[in-house]
Amino acid sequence: MTENQKIKGSQILLETLIAEGVDTIFGYPGGSIMPVYDQMYDYGDRLRHILVRHEQGAIHAAQGYARAKGFPGTVIVTSGPGATNVITGVADAMVDSTPVVVIAGQVSTNLLGTDAFQETDLIGMTNPITKWSYQIRRPEDIAWAVSRAYYIASTGRPGPVVLDFTKDAQVGLAEYKYEKCRFIRSYVPVPSVSENEVEKIARLLDRSERPFVLYGQGIIHSGAEKELLAVLEKGDIPAGSTLLGLSVLPSDDPHFKGMLGMHGSIASNVMSQKADLILAVGMRFDDRVTGNLSTYCKYAKIIHIDIDPSEIGKNVPVDLGVVGDAKDVLGRLARRMARIERREWLESDRHCNEVEYEKVIVPETRPGQGTINPGEVVATVAEVSGNDAVILTDVGQNQMLGARYSRFIRSRSFISSGGLGTMGFGIPAAIGAKVAVPDRKVCLFVGDGGFQMTVQELGTIMQEQVGVKIVLLNNNWLGNVRQWQELFFGERYSQTRMVNPDFELLSQAYGIGHALVEKREDLRPAVERMFADDKPFILDVHITEENMVFPMVPPGKSVSEIMLNATEWYR
Amino acid sequence: MENENHYIITAYTENQVGLLSTVAGMFTRRSINIDTLRVYPSGIPGVHKFVVKTTTTPDKVRSIALNMEKKVDVIKAFWYVDNEDIYKEVEDVTSYLKERENSINK
Ligand SMILES: Cc1ncc(C[n+]2csc(CCOP(=O)(O)OP(=O)(O)O)c2C)c(N)n1
Repeated sequence: MTENQKIKGSQILLETLIAEGVDTIFGYPGGSIMPVYDQMYDYGDRLRHILVRHEQGAIHAAQGYARAKGFPGTVIVTSGPGATNVITGVADAMVDSTPVVVIAGQVSTNLLGTDAFQETDLIGMTNPITKWSYQIRRPEDIAWAVSRAYYIASTGRPGPVVLDFTKDAQVGLAEYKYEKCRFIRSYVPVPSVSENEVEKIARLLDRSERPFVLYGQGIIHSGAEKELLAVLEKGDIPAGSTLLGLSVLPSDDPHFKGMLGMHGSIASNVMSQKADLILAVGMRFDDRVTGNLSTYCKYAKIIHIDIDPSEIGKNVPVDLGVVGDAKDVLGRLARRMARIERREWLESDRHCNEVEYEKVIVPETRPGQGTINPGEVVATVAEVSGNDAVILTDVGQNQMLGARYSRFIRSRSFISSGGLGTMGFGIPAAIGAKVAVPDRKVCLFVGDGGFQMTVQELGTIMQEQVGVKIVLLNNNWLGNVRQWQELFFGERYSQTRMVNPDFELLSQAYGIGHALVEKREDLRPAVERMFADDKPFILDVHITEENMVFPMVPPGKSVSEIMLNATEWYR
Repeated sequence: MENENHYIITAYTENQVGLLSTVAGMFTRRSINIDTLRVYPSGIPGVHKFVVKTTTTPDKVRSIALNMEKKVDVIKAFWYVDNEDIYKEVEDVTSYLKERENSINK
């Protein structure tokens, strides 16, 4: 072939991204990625590039995008500091199984290993926190590597992929030969499940008097919402959700018993301890869910369905492990299992709910007097938005209250940093989510601590006019840590008090709408005003400073040992 | 430690740069010593073989082997108590690869 049929590596990259269905890139330019940015100049009509203010913002935005849309988020950054700035988000995406593809510039091949300007061993650093990481050193490998990256990131148990893209490969010439990756012989994304295994689950389920389902984000990845509900309905089976599984079942579904674990509902924790059979699907028995393992579900048979074989039996010994896709297994299970009525068991959480309502929910969401509680704010947002916003949280008390008091009517409506618990996730992730699903309302709950960790992304919101609604639950404390200090460290408030800037002036500086709410009667009108249009908005609510999140299973305790407040325990 | 045993982990892999450090990292993270390590061509064309001897608990050896196999470029991983016989692995992996290749056409 002739030389002029060849194109530059940077163009091969952009063509391959388009072929893979990418429409949006979150990124930040720099020396080692400049050829790609130069090429982007000609691709503005086909690829939207969102210029963040810090590379951590790019990766979290890509995560928010991926979780809202179900399509991998794409990040492009430069080498060295650009690349190391995304690492927190890569680790976050790994533990939360979020499909993202990070393309980082790298120095030219001949400079590798010489400590050249802005050279870092990105592959070495990201290997343990990626599903796949690969250095592209030749323009001929770009289309292959990029297609493989999207295939790996989005199939099986999703996760992050890092491509370290040397500068000479960006400028080198090669023919553009794209073939969509659909197969890697050493990688089996979806192991198949035999009819016999499904039959075994069905028989255990049919024999059980008190089955309880634990589900997680695997249901969302697999698109198994309907199949899950079919199983629950056919067997009158109650279910509890992990943090990342929230919104899979509508909040008012009678089978839904709330969130599991440390700040979960009393009902879901107590029922998981009373069950004689646990059917866990697409979740990984995180220690925030199980509490003390030595007393966890001791009297139940445990069935665990997950797509990742290394999760089976990792934390909790199982009686039956099934490695496969949730939609497939639950779909077949729903057909095989017997229709059994278990009304009494299904509704046996009445006492739990009465206690939780009276001792926790009412005092939190309807205190009637005094300062505004954060739970009140969340509940008001839920009401005003018709329970139909995509809810994001940052990390801390805002996260647990956002999870507890938001209500959902459709899946993919809750996005939060679960496994890593990354403060600063919220603002950029909300940007990504709104960009991914512009027709939906997108609302973030964030503390004053986490807000300031990635506050620079207000600049991105301003530049792109991303219509995110930011609800700042402002308590002038690192609230979650303060709560632990009060409960478990003898009220020694070490380094948790925060002196905050004037958030109104800050909002003004960025040209973002703002309302300050200090009085209860102003709350609802302000939330209504916030949702009145599709523009970015910061709602700064001064909340009860020393509020605590309950119920709480204290660390190291069994999940049925539940604090209702600082002095009372559930009985 | 209680429950510790001598184990052999074998893994059949594609030849991808960096796999060795990934494998070593899995041991470091769980603070387990590698007693011996060999990496060599497996006898199956294009496929490499890792053989790691280690002393640890059943849970940890299982976890390491499963996490090795989870790596995209690892084809299969096996684990044994040290004195068990290892045989048929190459046949197993060869027929597994044939099966995989055939599954593309389905
Ligand atoms: C990057 C990072 N640093 C530290 C922590 C530990 N941490 C967890 S919650 C929390 C306090 C959060 O305070 P704030 O953002 O004000 O939210 P609140 O709990 O008050 O809602 C801290 C420091 C973390 N999760 N992430």
